[in-house]
Amino acid sequence: MKKIVLILISIFIIASDVYANEQNSLKKHFIDTIDKIIIVVKDTNLEKIKRNTKIIDILTPMFDFTLMGKLSLGKKWKQLNTVDRKRFVELYVERMKQSYSSKLDAYSDEKVEVTKIKQAKKNRIELITDLVQTDAKLKISYKFYKPKKAKKDKDTWLIYDVVISGVSILKTDKAQFREFLQTNTIEELMDQLAKK
Amino acid sequence: MRYFYRILFCLFIVSFAGCSNKVEPTQSNIKPISSEKLSIALEDNNEDEDEFMDEFEEEMELEEISDPLSGYNRVMTNFNDGLFEYVLAPVARGYKFVVHKEVRTSVGNFFHNILYPIRLINNLLQGKVKNSSEETGRFIINTTVGIFGLFDPAKSYFELEPHNEDFGQTLGFYGVGAGPHIVLPFFGPSNLRDALSLYPDSLVNPVDYHKNRSYNLTNSYGESLFLTTYDKVNFVSLHDGEYEKLKKDAIDLYPFLRDIYEQYREAQIKE
Repeated sequence: MKKIVLILISIFIIASDVYANEQNSLKKHFIDTIDKIIIVVKDTNLEKIKRNTKIIDILTPMFDFTLMGKLSLGKKWKQLNTVDRKRFVELYVERMKQSYSSKLDAYSDEKVEVTKIKQAKKNRIELITDLVQTDAKLKISYKFYKPKKAKKDKDTWLIYDVVISGVSILKTDKAQFREFLQTNTIEELMDQLAKK
Repeated sequence: MRYFYRILFCLFIVSFAGCSNKVEPTQSNIKPISSEKLSIALEDNNEDEDEFMDEFEEEMELEEISDPLSGYNRVMTNFNDGLFEYVLAPVARGYKFVVHKEVRTSVGNFFHNILYPIRLINNLLQGKVKNSSEETGRFIINTTVGIFGLFDPAKSYFELEPHNEDFGQTLGFYGVGAGPHIVLPFFGPSNLRDALSLYPDSLVNPVDYHKNRSYNLTNSYGESLFLTTYDKVNFVSLHDGEYEKLKKDAIDLYPFLRDIYEQYREAQIKE
Protein backbone atom coordinates (compact mmCIF):
# COMPACT_ATOMS: atom_id res chain seq x y z
CA MET A 1 0.00 0.00 0.00
CA LYS A 2 2.77 2.41 1.02
CA LYS A 3 4.58 1.59 -2.18
CA ILE A 4 1.59 2.38 -4.33
CA VAL A 5 1.11 5.70 -2.60
CA LEU A 6 4.77 6.46 -3.09
CA ILE A 7 4.61 5.59 -6.77
CA LEU A 8 1.50 7.66 -7.20
CA ILE A 9 3.11 10.62 -5.50
CA SER A 10 6.25 10.37 -7.58
CA ILE A 11 4.21 10.09 -10.78
CA PHE A 12 2.33 13.17 -9.71
CA ILE A 13 5.53 15.09 -9.02
CA ILE A 14 7.11 14.06 -12.29
CA ALA A 15 3.95 14.91 -14.16
CA SER A 16 3.66 18.34 -12.61
CA ASP A 17 7.31 18.92 -13.37
CA VAL A 18 6.73 18.11 -17.03
CA TYR A 19 3.83 20.55 -17.01
CA ALA A 20 5.98 23.28 -15.50
CA ASN A 21 8.71 22.70 -18.06
CA GLU A 22 6.29 22.87 -20.93
CA GLN A 23 4.74 26.04 -19.57
CA ASN A 24 8.08 27.72 -19.10
CA SER A 25 9.37 26.89 -22.53
CA LEU A 26 6.13 28.11 -24.10
CA LYS A 27 6.32 31.32 -22.10
CA LYS A 28 9.91 31.83 -23.20
CA HIS A 29 9.05 31.19 -26.83
CA PHE A 30 6.11 33.60 -26.58
CA ILE A 31 8.23 36.38 -25.09
CA ASP A 32 10.98 35.78 -27.65
CA THR A 33 8.41 36.14 -30.41
CA ILE A 34 7.18 39.41 -28.96
CA ASP A 35 10.73 40.70 -28.72
CA LYS A 36 11.27 39.83 -32.37
CA ILE A 37 8.15 41.75 -33.29
CA ILE A 38 9.16 44.75 -31.22
CA ILE A 39 12.50 44.91 -33.03
CA VAL A 40 10.70 44.95 -36.37
CA VAL A 41 8.17 47.51 -35.16
CA LYS A 42 10.86 49.83 -33.84
CA ASP A 43 12.84 49.66 -37.07
CA THR A 44 11.88 53.02 -38.54
CA ASN A 45 13.89 52.43 -41.72
CA LEU A 46 11.49 49.72 -42.76
CA GLU A 47 8.68 50.53 -45.12
CA LYS A 48 5.30 50.06 -43.45
CA ILE A 49 4.08 47.47 -45.90
CA LYS A 50 7.25 45.43 -45.60
CA ARG A 51 7.13 45.78 -41.85
CA ASN A 52 3.60 44.43 -41.59
CA THR A 53 4.42 41.50 -43.87
CA LYS A 54 7.45 40.73 -41.72
CA ILE A 55 5.39 40.78 -38.54
CA ILE A 56 2.72 38.53 -40.00
CA ASP A 57 5.49 36.13 -41.03
CA ILE A 58 6.81 36.04 -37.47
CA LEU A 59 3.34 35.48 -36.03
CA THR A 60 2.00 32.94 -38.47
CA PRO A 61 3.83 29.86 -37.08
CA MET A 62 2.30 30.59 -33.66
CA PHE A 63 -1.33 30.86 -34.76
CA ASP A 64 -3.62 28.17 -36.07
CA PHE A 65 -5.76 30.45 -38.22
CA THR A 66 -7.13 27.43 -40.06
CA LEU A 67 -8.51 25.89 -36.89
CA MET A 68 -9.92 29.26 -35.85
CA GLY A 69 -11.78 29.44 -39.12
CA LYS A 70 -13.24 25.96 -38.65
CA LEU A 71 -14.26 26.60 -35.07
CA SER A 72 -15.84 29.93 -35.95
CA LEU A 73 -18.40 28.07 -38.04
CA GLY A 74 -19.23 25.60 -35.27
CA LYS A 75 -21.56 22.78 -36.28
CA LYS A 76 -22.08 24.31 -39.68
CA TRP A 77 -18.55 23.32 -40.67
CA LYS A 78 -19.44 19.65 -40.87
CA GLN A 79 -22.19 20.37 -43.36
CA LEU A 80 -19.88 22.04 -45.85
CA ASN A 81 -18.50 20.25 -48.87
CA THR A 82 -14.77 20.19 -49.59
CA VAL A 83 -14.85 23.07 -52.05
CA ASP A 84 -16.70 25.35 -49.64
CA ARG A 85 -14.47 24.31 -46.78
CA LYS A 86 -11.40 25.22 -48.73
CA ARG A 87 -12.76 28.57 -49.85
CA PHE A 88 -14.01 29.47 -46.39
CA VAL A 89 -10.71 28.72 -44.67
CA GLU A 90 -8.86 30.66 -47.32
CA LEU A 91 -11.08 33.71 -46.82
CA TYR A 92 -11.00 33.47 -43.06
CA VAL A 93 -7.23 33.29 -42.86
CA GLU A 94 -6.93 36.21 -45.24
CA ARG A 95 -9.37 38.26 -43.17
CA MET A 96 -7.51 37.44 -39.97
CA LYS A 97 -4.23 38.62 -41.45
CA GLN A 98 -5.81 41.74 -42.90
CA SER A 99 -7.40 42.62 -39.62
CA TYR A 100 -4.16 41.96 -37.83
CA SER A 101 -1.98 44.13 -39.99
CA SER A 102 -4.44 47.00 -39.95
CA LYS A 103 -4.12 46.96 -36.19
CA LEU A 104 -0.42 46.50 -36.03
CA ASP A 105 0.52 50.07 -36.64
CA ALA A 106 2.98 52.11 -34.68
CA TYR A 107 4.21 50.83 -31.42
CA SER A 108 3.89 53.33 -28.63
CA ASP A 109 6.00 51.86 -25.85
CA GLU A 110 3.57 49.20 -24.80
CA LYS A 111 4.98 46.33 -22.83
CA VAL A 112 3.72 42.79 -22.61
CA GLU A 113 3.95 41.02 -19.26
CA VAL A 114 2.91 37.43 -18.70
CA THR A 115 1.01 37.53 -15.42
CA LYS A 116 -0.33 34.00 -15.14
CA ILE A 117 -0.09 30.61 -16.81
CA LYS A 118 -3.03 28.23 -16.69
CA GLN A 119 -3.08 24.65 -17.85
CA ALA A 120 -6.55 23.18 -17.70
CA LYS A 121 -5.62 20.05 -19.67
CA LYS A 122 -2.51 18.32 -20.87
CA ASN A 123 -2.84 19.84 -24.32
CA ARG A 124 -4.08 23.30 -23.39
CA ILE A 125 -2.14 26.25 -22.00
CA GLU A 126 -3.43 29.74 -21.45
CA LEU A 127 -1.01 32.65 -21.15
CA ILE A 128 -2.59 35.59 -19.38
CA THR A 129 -0.81 38.81 -20.15
CA ASP A 130 -1.06 42.51 -19.44
CA LEU A 131 -0.55 44.90 -22.28
CA VAL A 132 0.80 47.85 -20.36
CA GLN A 133 0.06 51.10 -22.14
CA THR A 134 0.93 54.58 -20.95
CA ASP A 135 -2.57 55.27 -19.65
CA ALA A 136 -4.04 51.84 -19.03
CA LYS A 137 -3.53 48.12 -18.71
CA LEU A 138 -5.27 45.70 -20.98
CA LYS A 139 -5.70 42.06 -20.03
CA ILE A 140 -5.11 39.81 -23.02
CA SER A 141 -5.15 36.07 -22.76
CA TYR A 142 -3.68 33.79 -25.42
CA LYS A 143 -5.08 30.29 -25.61
CA PHE A 144 -2.77 27.60 -26.94
CA TYR A 145 -3.36 23.97 -27.78
CA LYS A 146 -0.97 21.23 -28.71
CA PRO A 147 -1.92 19.28 -31.82
CA LYS A 148 -1.45 15.52 -31.66
CA LYS A 149 0.69 15.58 -34.77
CA ALA A 150 3.02 18.53 -35.16
CA LYS A 151 2.04 20.62 -38.18
CA LYS A 152 4.37 21.59 -40.96
CA ASP A 153 5.84 25.10 -40.60
CA LYS A 154 4.08 25.51 -37.28
CA ASP A 155 5.08 25.67 -33.62
CA THR A 156 4.39 22.82 -31.20
CA TRP A 157 1.86 24.94 -29.34
CA LEU A 158 -0.61 26.92 -31.38
CA ILE A 159 -2.89 29.82 -30.53
CA TYR A 160 -6.55 29.11 -31.24
CA ASP A 161 -8.16 32.04 -29.44
CA VAL A 162 -7.28 35.46 -28.11
CA VAL A 163 -9.37 36.93 -25.30
CA ILE A 164 -9.14 40.70 -24.81
CA SER A 165 -10.62 42.01 -21.55
CA GLY A 166 -12.94 39.05 -21.48
CA VAL A 167 -13.97 39.29 -25.13
CA SER A 168 -13.05 36.22 -27.14
CA ILE A 169 -12.19 36.89 -30.77
CA LEU A 170 -13.32 33.43 -31.74
CA LYS A 171 -16.63 33.57 -29.88
CA THR A 172 -17.41 36.97 -31.35
CA ASP A 173 -16.80 35.64 -34.85
CA LYS A 174 -18.78 32.50 -34.14
CA ALA A 175 -21.77 34.47 -32.88
CA GLN A 176 -21.63 36.80 -35.85
CA PHE A 177 -21.45 33.98 -38.38
CA ARG A 178 -24.23 32.04 -36.72
CA GLU A 179 -26.54 35.03 -36.74
CA PHE A 180 -25.66 35.86 -40.34
CA LEU A 181 -26.28 32.27 -41.44
CA GLN A 182 -29.77 32.28 -39.95
CA THR A 183 -30.95 34.49 -42.77
CA ASN A 184 -28.20 34.01 -45.35
CA THR A 185 -26.42 31.16 -47.08
CA ILE A 186 -22.80 30.16 -46.65
CA GLU A 187 -22.09 31.56 -50.12
CA GLU A 188 -23.35 34.96 -49.01
CA LEU A 189 -21.18 34.81 -45.91
CA MET A 190 -18.15 34.03 -48.02
CA ASP A 191 -18.95 36.85 -50.43
CA GLN A 192 -19.19 39.16 -47.44
CA LEU A 193 -15.80 37.99 -46.16
CA ALA A 194 -14.28 38.41 -49.61
CA LYS A 195 -15.49 42.00 -49.78
CA LYS A 196 -13.55 43.05 -46.72
CA MET B 1 -20.75 52.81 -19.92
CA ARG B 2 -17.62 54.92 -20.36
CA TYR B 3 -15.60 51.80 -19.92
CA PHE B 4 -17.41 50.07 -22.68
CA TYR B 5 -16.03 52.60 -25.12
CA ARG B 6 -12.61 51.97 -23.72
CA ILE B 7 -12.82 48.26 -24.55
CA LEU B 8 -14.44 48.95 -27.85
CA PHE B 9 -11.57 51.14 -28.75
CA CYS B 10 -9.02 48.74 -27.48
CA LEU B 11 -10.41 45.55 -28.86
CA PHE B 12 -8.82 46.15 -32.15
CA ILE B 13 -5.41 45.65 -30.65
CA VAL B 14 -5.38 42.00 -31.49
CA SER B 15 -1.69 42.31 -31.49
CA PHE B 16 1.35 42.01 -29.37
CA ALA B 17 2.40 45.50 -30.21
CA GLY B 18 0.32 48.59 -30.16
CA CYS B 19 -1.83 50.78 -32.22
CA SER B 20 -2.06 54.11 -33.86
CA ASN B 21 -3.46 55.24 -37.12
CA LYS B 22 -0.43 55.86 -39.22
CA VAL B 23 -0.86 53.09 -41.74
CA GLU B 24 -3.77 52.11 -43.81
CA PRO B 25 -3.09 48.59 -44.93
CA THR B 26 -3.51 47.72 -48.52
CA GLN B 27 -4.26 44.44 -50.15
CA SER B 28 -0.63 44.17 -51.18
CA ASN B 29 0.38 43.85 -47.52
CA ILE B 30 -0.58 40.29 -47.43
CA LYS B 31 0.99 37.49 -49.25
CA PRO B 32 -1.53 35.27 -50.91
CA ILE B 33 -1.62 31.85 -49.34
CA SER B 34 -0.08 29.37 -51.67
CA SER B 35 -2.52 26.72 -52.71
CA GLU B 36 0.08 24.13 -51.81
CA LYS B 37 0.01 25.17 -48.17
CA LEU B 38 -3.75 25.14 -48.15
CA SER B 39 -4.04 21.66 -49.52
CA ILE B 40 -1.76 20.53 -46.71
CA ALA B 41 -3.97 22.25 -44.21
CA LEU B 42 -7.05 20.67 -45.65
CA GLU B 43 -5.68 17.20 -46.17
CA ASP B 44 -6.28 16.34 -42.57
CA ASN B 45 -9.91 17.26 -42.95
CA ASN B 46 -10.99 13.75 -42.23
CA GLU B 47 -13.10 12.19 -39.55
CA ASP B 48 -10.21 12.51 -37.13
CA GLU B 49 -10.15 16.23 -37.50
CA ASP B 50 -13.89 16.52 -36.98
CA GLU B 51 -13.66 14.52 -33.81
CA PHE B 52 -10.80 16.69 -32.68
CA MET B 53 -12.94 19.77 -33.22
CA ASP B 54 -15.54 18.39 -30.82
CA GLU B 55 -12.95 18.87 -28.09
CA PHE B 56 -13.36 22.60 -28.50
CA GLU B 57 -17.12 22.50 -28.87
CA GLU B 58 -17.87 22.88 -25.17
CA GLU B 59 -15.35 25.66 -24.66
CA MET B 60 -16.66 27.63 -27.59
CA GLU B 61 -20.28 27.20 -26.60
CA LEU B 62 -22.00 30.55 -26.96
CA GLU B 63 -24.02 31.95 -24.10
CA GLU B 64 -27.52 32.61 -25.28
CA ILE B 65 -28.15 36.33 -25.17
CA SER B 66 -31.71 37.33 -24.50
CA ASP B 67 -32.69 39.53 -27.43
CA PRO B 68 -36.42 40.06 -27.83
CA LEU B 69 -35.82 43.68 -28.83
CA SER B 70 -33.50 42.93 -31.73
CA GLY B 71 -35.64 44.86 -34.22
CA TYR B 72 -35.53 48.05 -32.20
CA ASN B 73 -31.90 47.43 -31.25
CA ARG B 74 -30.82 47.27 -34.87
CA VAL B 75 -32.46 50.58 -35.64
CA MET B 76 -30.90 52.21 -32.59
CA THR B 77 -27.47 50.78 -33.43
CA ASN B 78 -27.67 52.44 -36.83
CA PHE B 79 -28.78 55.67 -35.22
CA ASN B 80 -25.86 55.66 -32.77
CA ASP B 81 -23.45 54.66 -35.49
CA GLY B 82 -24.60 57.54 -37.69
CA LEU B 83 -24.44 59.92 -34.75
CA PHE B 84 -20.89 58.83 -34.12
CA GLU B 85 -19.80 59.04 -37.72
CA TYR B 86 -21.45 62.33 -38.66
CA VAL B 87 -21.54 64.27 -35.41
CA LEU B 88 -19.36 62.99 -32.59
CA ALA B 89 -16.30 61.96 -34.60
CA PRO B 90 -16.06 65.16 -36.70
CA VAL B 91 -16.53 67.35 -33.63
CA ALA B 92 -13.91 65.36 -31.73
CA ARG B 93 -11.51 65.64 -34.66
CA GLY B 94 -11.88 69.42 -34.79
CA TYR B 95 -11.36 69.60 -31.06
CA LYS B 96 -8.31 67.36 -31.31
CA PHE B 97 -6.86 69.66 -33.95
CA VAL B 98 -7.16 72.70 -31.67
CA VAL B 99 -6.30 71.30 -28.24
CA HIS B 100 -2.99 69.70 -27.23
CA LYS B 101 -2.93 66.07 -26.27
CA GLU B 102 -1.57 66.83 -22.79
CA VAL B 103 -4.55 69.06 -22.09
CA ARG B 104 -7.01 66.47 -23.36
CA THR B 105 -5.40 63.77 -21.23
CA SER B 106 -5.75 66.03 -18.19
CA VAL B 107 -9.40 66.70 -18.97
CA GLY B 108 -9.95 62.94 -19.12
CA ASN B 109 -8.13 62.55 -15.79
CA PHE B 110 -10.28 65.25 -14.24
CA PHE B 111 -13.54 63.56 -15.20
CA HIS B 112 -12.25 60.18 -14.09
CA ASN B 113 -11.22 61.57 -10.70
CA ILE B 114 -14.51 63.30 -10.07
CA LEU B 115 -16.47 60.10 -10.66
CA TYR B 116 -14.77 58.62 -7.59
CA PRO B 117 -18.07 58.33 -5.61
CA ILE B 118 -19.46 55.84 -8.14
CA ARG B 119 -16.39 53.65 -7.91
CA LEU B 120 -16.14 53.89 -4.12
CA ILE B 121 -19.77 53.03 -3.42
CA ASN B 122 -19.84 50.10 -5.80
CA ASN B 123 -16.55 48.72 -4.51
CA LEU B 124 -17.95 48.96 -0.98
CA LEU B 125 -21.27 47.38 -1.93
CA GLN B 126 -19.35 44.40 -3.28
CA GLY B 127 -17.27 44.18 -0.11
CA LYS B 128 -14.05 44.99 -1.95
CA VAL B 129 -12.36 46.71 0.97
CA LYS B 130 -8.84 46.85 -0.43
CA ASN B 131 -10.02 48.29 -3.73
CA SER B 132 -12.15 50.86 -1.89
CA SER B 133 -9.21 52.07 0.15
CA GLU B 134 -6.99 52.20 -2.94
CA GLU B 135 -9.63 54.22 -4.76
CA THR B 136 -9.81 56.58 -1.78
CA GLY B 137 -6.04 56.90 -1.74
CA ARG B 138 -6.08 57.69 -5.45
CA PHE B 139 -8.77 60.31 -5.00
CA ILE B 140 -6.93 62.07 -2.16
CA ILE B 141 -3.55 62.04 -3.92
CA ASN B 142 -4.89 63.06 -7.32
CA THR B 143 -7.15 65.79 -5.95
CA THR B 144 -4.30 67.40 -3.97
CA VAL B 145 -0.91 66.60 -5.54
CA GLY B 146 -2.58 65.97 -8.88
CA ILE B 147 -4.26 69.43 -8.81
CA PHE B 148 -8.01 68.66 -8.77
CA GLY B 149 -7.43 65.41 -10.60
CA LEU B 150 -5.82 66.90 -13.70
CA PHE B 151 -2.87 64.56 -13.25
CA ASP B 152 -2.58 60.99 -12.06
CA PRO B 153 0.42 60.88 -9.70
CA ALA B 154 -1.33 58.11 -7.72
CA LYS B 155 -0.61 55.76 -10.59
CA SER B 156 2.70 57.10 -11.82
CA TYR B 157 4.35 57.51 -8.39
CA PHE B 158 2.36 55.36 -5.98
CA GLU B 159 1.42 52.58 -8.38
CA LEU B 160 -2.22 52.66 -7.33
CA GLU B 161 -4.38 51.31 -10.14
CA PRO B 162 -7.99 52.42 -10.58
CA HIS B 163 -10.76 49.92 -9.80
CA ASN B 164 -13.68 50.69 -12.01
CA GLU B 165 -17.00 49.46 -10.68
CA ASP B 166 -20.55 50.53 -11.41
CA PHE B 167 -23.97 49.54 -10.12
CA GLY B 168 -24.58 47.14 -12.99
CA GLN B 169 -21.49 45.23 -11.88
CA THR B 170 -22.67 45.33 -8.28
CA LEU B 171 -26.00 43.77 -9.26
CA GLY B 172 -24.18 41.20 -11.39
CA PHE B 173 -21.91 40.44 -8.45
CA TYR B 174 -24.99 39.46 -6.42
CA GLY B 175 -26.25 37.23 -9.20
CA VAL B 176 -28.65 39.52 -11.04
CA GLY B 177 -28.80 38.42 -14.68
CA ALA B 178 -28.26 40.76 -17.60
CA GLY B 179 -31.83 40.60 -18.89
CA PRO B 180 -32.63 41.48 -22.48
CA HIS B 181 -30.05 43.40 -24.47
CA ILE B 182 -31.04 47.03 -25.07
CA VAL B 183 -29.26 49.56 -27.24
CA LEU B 184 -29.73 52.98 -25.64
CA PRO B 185 -29.76 56.15 -27.68
CA PHE B 186 -26.45 58.06 -27.22
CA PHE B 187 -25.13 55.59 -24.63
CA GLY B 188 -24.82 52.59 -26.92
CA PRO B 189 -25.13 48.88 -26.09
CA SER B 190 -26.59 47.96 -22.72
CA ASN B 191 -28.98 45.50 -21.13
CA LEU B 192 -31.90 45.81 -18.75
CA ARG B 193 -29.75 45.42 -15.64
CA ASP B 194 -27.12 47.94 -16.74
CA ALA B 195 -29.64 50.44 -18.10
CA LEU B 196 -31.57 50.52 -14.82
CA SER B 197 -28.27 50.87 -12.98
CA LEU B 198 -27.55 54.16 -14.69
CA TYR B 199 -29.98 55.88 -12.33
CA PRO B 200 -28.45 54.88 -8.96
CA ASP B 201 -24.99 55.67 -10.34
CA SER B 202 -26.22 59.04 -11.53
CA LEU B 203 -27.44 59.86 -7.99
CA VAL B 204 -23.85 59.83 -6.74
CA ASN B 205 -22.33 61.27 -9.92
CA PRO B 206 -21.24 64.85 -9.08
CA VAL B 207 -21.37 65.85 -12.75
CA ASP B 208 -25.07 64.99 -13.02
CA TYR B 209 -27.51 67.57 -11.67
CA HIS B 210 -30.05 66.47 -9.06
CA LYS B 211 -32.40 68.75 -7.23
CA ASN B 212 -32.31 68.41 -3.43
CA ARG B 213 -28.71 67.24 -3.46
CA SER B 214 -26.09 69.18 -1.56
CA TYR B 215 -23.05 68.49 -3.73
CA ASN B 216 -24.01 69.35 -7.28
CA LEU B 217 -21.07 70.35 -9.41
CA THR B 218 -23.40 71.90 -11.94
CA ASN B 219 -26.30 74.29 -11.45
CA SER B 220 -28.77 72.92 -13.95
CA TYR B 221 -29.62 69.94 -16.14
CA GLY B 222 -28.32 71.87 -19.13
CA GLU B 223 -24.91 72.38 -17.60
CA SER B 224 -24.58 68.77 -16.58
CA LEU B 225 -25.58 67.64 -20.06
CA PHE B 226 -22.97 69.96 -21.52
CA LEU B 227 -20.22 68.60 -19.26
CA THR B 228 -21.17 64.99 -19.95
CA THR B 229 -21.08 65.63 -23.68
CA TYR B 230 -17.77 67.44 -23.38
CA ASP B 231 -16.30 64.48 -21.48
CA LYS B 232 -17.41 62.20 -24.29
CA VAL B 233 -16.02 64.41 -27.07
CA ASN B 234 -12.75 64.61 -25.16
CA PHE B 235 -12.64 60.85 -24.78
CA VAL B 236 -13.31 60.22 -28.46
CA SER B 237 -10.60 62.75 -29.39
CA LEU B 238 -8.10 60.65 -27.46
CA HIS B 239 -9.18 57.53 -29.35
CA ASP B 240 -9.62 58.91 -32.83
CA GLY B 241 -10.23 56.34 -35.54
CA GLU B 242 -10.34 53.33 -33.23
CA TYR B 243 -14.04 52.64 -33.42
CA GLU B 244 -13.91 52.84 -37.20
CA LYS B 245 -11.14 50.25 -37.29
CA LEU B 246 -12.94 47.91 -34.94
CA LYS B 247 -16.04 48.15 -37.07
CA LYS B 248 -14.16 46.71 -40.02
CA ASP B 249 -14.16 43.32 -38.30
CA ALA B 250 -17.95 43.23 -38.21
CA ILE B 251 -19.98 41.21 -40.68
CA ASP B 252 -23.12 42.66 -39.14
CA LEU B 253 -22.61 45.57 -36.77
CA TYR B 254 -25.46 45.05 -34.32
CA PRO B 255 -24.76 41.46 -33.19
CA PHE B 256 -21.04 42.23 -33.28
CA LEU B 257 -21.31 45.08 -30.77
CA ARG B 258 -23.92 43.24 -28.74
CA ASP B 259 -21.70 40.20 -28.24
CA ILE B 260 -18.66 42.24 -27.41
CA TYR B 261 -20.63 44.20 -24.83
CA GLU B 262 -22.16 41.17 -23.12
CA GLN B 263 -18.89 39.21 -23.03
CA TYR B 264 -17.06 42.22 -21.68
CA ARG B 265 -19.58 42.91 -18.92
CA GLU B 266 -19.61 39.25 -17.94
CA ALA B 267 -15.81 39.36 -17.54
CA GLN B 268 -15.92 42.61 -15.55
CA ILE B 269 -18.42 41.17 -13.11
CA LYS B 270 -16.31 38.06 -12.55
CA GLU B 271 -13.25 40.14 -11.67
